[in-house]
Amino acid sequence: MDHILIVEDDIETAEAVAHEVTALGCAPVLCTTLDQGVAEAAAGDYRVIVLDRMLPGGDGVEAMARIRAGGSRAMILVLSALGRAAQRVEGLEKGADDYLPKPFEPEELRARLRALLRRATIDGLDNDLVAFGDLEIRLKARTLHVRRQHVAISPKEFDLITYFARNAGQVVTRMQLLENVWKLHFDPGTNVVDVHVGRLRRKLEEAGANAIQTARGEGYIFAPLRADQRTD
Amino acid sequence: MTTRTPLAARATLRLTLVLALAVTLLSLGAMALQYRLVAARLMEGARSTLTADLGGFAALYEQRRIIALRQAIEYRAAAGTGDEMLLLLDRHGMVLAGTEDHWPEGLRTEGAGFTVEPAREFDRNGTRWLAVARELPGGFPLLVARNLAPTNATLASLRRGMAGLATALVLAGGLVGWLAARSVMGRIGRVNDLADRVAAGDLSARLPGPRSRDEFGLLETHVHAMLDRIENLNRATHRLSDTIAHELRTPLNRLMQKLSRITGQEEIVEDLRAEMRQSIRVFDSLLDISRAEADQGIGGGLVPVDLSAVAADVWELYEPLAEDKGLRPEAAITPGLHVLGDRNLIAQMLSNLIDNAIKYCGPGDTLRLTLSEGPDRHLMQVADTGPGLPEELRTDAFERFTRAERDRGIQGHGLGLALVRAIAARHGAKLDLPRSEKGFVLDIAWPKLAS
Repeated sequence: MDHILIVEDDIETAEAVAHEVTALGCAPVLCTTLDQGVAEAAAGDYRVIVLDRMLPGGDGVEAMARIRAGGSRAMILVLSALGRAAQRVEGLEKGADDYLPKPFEPEELRARLRALLRRATIDGLDNDLVAFGDLEIRLKARTLHVRRQHVAISPKEFDLITYFARNAGQVVTRMQLLENVWKLHFDPGTNVVDVHVGRLRRKLEEAGANAIQTARGEGYIFAPLRADQRTD
Repeated sequence: MTTRTPLAARATLRLTLVLALAVTLLSLGAMALQYRLVAARLMEGARSTLTADLGGFAALYEQRRIIALRQAIEYRAAAGTGDEMLLLLDRHGMVLAGTEDHWPEGLRTEGAGFTVEPAREFDRNGTRWLAVARELPGGFPLLVARNLAPTNATLASLRRGMAGLATALVLAGGLVGWLAARSVMGRIGRVNDLADRVAAGDLSARLPGPRSRDEFGLLETHVHAMLDRIENLNRATHRLSDTIAHELRTPLNRLMQKLSRITGQEEIVEDLRAEMRQSIRVFDSLLDISRAEADQGIGGGLVPVDLSAVAADVWELYEPLAEDKGLRPEAAITPGLHVLGDRNLIAQMLSNLIDNAIKYCGPGDTLRLTLSEGPDRHLMQVADTGPGLPEELRTDAFERFTRAERDRGIQGHGLGLALVRAIAARHGAKLDLPRSEKGFVLDIAWPKLAS
């Protein structure tokens, strides 16, 4: 069983995080001060560390270097009330693997923890050709093929589908798409991302691949022809 | 960053030169007064010698008239010191006795007594003499004169001394002025360099070493006190906004977690979540605005950014949304234009503007984003053919929470343009709302990145 370290001083938040961790099938370990957390990160073998910022003992973002120096190879998710765009960028630039502002929706946290756990095992797509049944993504040529037919998509739509492919089978939230595909770290207020996903989805459907599904209230799931894959 | 050309301390130099000139003029005046006194004194000396001579001759003349006078002059002429000129003629102009062989040209006899007045100065072979010329009763011209050369030599050396002293004073004044200007410039230059460093974003910059106990030390102490205050205020602002964020978001987070435990009322829960997101957005915008305003004019934290690429990215994000709403989006972005900036802030600003335009425009309206290189700035324009700004809103469109009465039905909080202005100011970009026939037009002139 994978272990996830939670460094958080607000008990209610810590419990909510622990709940999601358990739901993902991992074992949560809780620390309530920064020094305790840094020591525990070095002592235990953790896949992911969920790190608060304004903690008794200091700022979690400033302590990331100490955690790395302690030998931990865990993915770090900063979960903080310091959630303005500039602070998110600062956290990511200082070495966080992901940054989620409070208040967070449980689904958002779950999606991000899952993405981090997945990244911790296989980092990215290494092959040139990624195939999901009839659907083929050629990474070097940046082209998409469905049933051996080329599907014309924009460069951004290509980035979008590769991000989906990297997280195939899992819920991906709008916020994740905005951060990872468009590299924007603020909430635009409008669901601009939906329009892009909608267009990509229509293009895929016209070519005959029903690959992107809406996860109601959560985001999207890229699950192309799973049944076909199994029967192949 | 601008490079400051070293300023000459012109004010100081001018002041010291005026002082030096005043001192020189006063000294020259004093010396002139002294010169006149000395000159008068020397002339008086010459005159009293002459008076004594004349007194002697008068006594002899009293006893035996011309004969005694002739003997005395012959005797004195034989001694021949060169300092005196004596001459006695007979009524036919023949020399009876004297140091000269003829009467000096141009000198006329005046009166008949042995008094010193009137005396005349005259030149003879380049030497000046003070002379008393009389015609004694019976037509005997008498000349008694004293050489003025020693007096003149004394005065000439006095004049030379004065000229030397005046030259020395002028040179010393100039030198002192230059030295003072240099030292003042050095002291002021330190403070100016400090101001430059602070303007470049280093709020904690201070002058090293102890303060001297003079007006410059006092100036440095005052500047330091001001900088300390600014730094403390800045730090307090940052700490306060972080604290507010923490104190507000932590309870909101508990609310959010509790909301997710409610089942069976998904619609209300989703509405509440949306409300919470909206509150956070308002709150973040306010903090972003005050932060951008606090950092205005500080170059720190800004890096070279490809403005064209950011504009293209944001445009690409919103274009499908505009198309779906029936707008006609058009973009003309010159590639490769760079500014010193914060990519995320610029994207946020553009996102606000384009989102606003899409919100207020209807089907058939045009939405245009242009970016081109101007002569001294990069010119960006966001223009639409929508309803535009109501006339009464033009003056304070960029103030916080400004919204038109007619837009009450459209979702928004009136912070979008305030944030746009704050971000523009943070980047030193100029905003302009040109009048257009129809719709909203905003010009943003970005300072170019010095290559």
